[in-house]
Amino acid sequence: MHSDTLQRRVDAYLAELRRCLCELPPDEVRDILQEIRGHILERAEASGELTEERLVEILKALGRPEEIAPLYQVDSVVAKARTSLSPRVVMRGIHRWSVVSAWGLLLFVLGVVGYATGFSLMLTAVSKIFLPREVGAWVSPGAFSIGTSSAPGARDVLGWWLVPVGLAVGVLVIAGTTRLLRWTLRFARIRRPTSTVSSASSY
Amino acid sequence: MVLAEQPDNWERQVKKGWLELAILASLWSEELYGLSLLRGLEEDTDLVLAEGTIYPILSRLKADGLVDTKWVEGESGHPRKYYWLTPAGRRRAVVMARYASGFLGSIEKLIAPLLAKEGK
Repeated sequence: MHSDTLQRRVDAYLAELRRCLCELPPDEVRDILQEIRGHILERAEASGELTEERLVEILKALGRPEEIAPLYQVDSVVAKARTSLSPRVVMRGIHRWSVVSAWGLLLFVLGVVGYATGFSLMLTAVSKIFLPREVGAWVSPGAFSIGTSSAPGARDVLGWWLVPVGLAVGVLVIAGTTRLLRWTLRFARIRRPTSTVSSASSY
Repeated sequence: MVLAEQPDNWERQVKKGWLELAILASLWSEELYGLSLLRGLEEDTDLVLAEGTIYPILSRLKADGLVDTKWVEGESGHPRKYYWLTPAGRRRAVVMARYASGFLGSIEKLIAPLLAKEGK
């Protein structure tokens, strides 16, 4: 078989793997593809004259891209989230876990609530600077709310203190949510689906 | 490894559990790149179900700080990614090896009558 045809087959395999790895950062995907390409080429070189049958065997032994890719994504995304301070990265890790575990799903909901609360508090604090009369910590008979209030007789109990207090509490809630989610992610690898890889006969 | 010989689920789970220790043990005394590590495992063990599973495990070991890596230009023109154990990886390997040794000893004792009966 012509070497161009074999090359196209390898490229098709790697393109499919790239497509399946779309959740990972581009530099990490590049790294993975370079390593897998090296593996295929070296296996091919070791087999002397490379035939289509031999190439199919090599790709089959590697496993199907759609089965290998989740192993990287669960591992990599979750591992990154375990050490990150970024709510976006941590939530990506929790989201990944939520796909394969009920605990992950529960923690994903907890994360959404925690981060939404923290960011809302910070947004309210900043809004106070631009809308001092409309935004506040309002107390009215039988009710308390933070933000805007249209309740008659509502009294702003914090005044300008809402700015530092809102920012500080918002940051604490976000940091606490991050810390809690990162701690729970230590258990996420339990569900790593390493036993699902079988073969890649279609490449 | 002939993939057509699909092992049953129990065997698959056992191999999966031992693979991480086997990788750490392979890296104990030398730096290896993925395929050289794989060849060693194929020669010495029967743990590898699909070759592609090795690389995500190595990737996770790196994310966990147990191994470190560097790209080295290979003789054949394409670069190889070499792996070696970090101090944390060496400590982890020793802990796993101690546990595995004790575990194997107790299991061997437990299954000895089964094997003796089979030998008769």
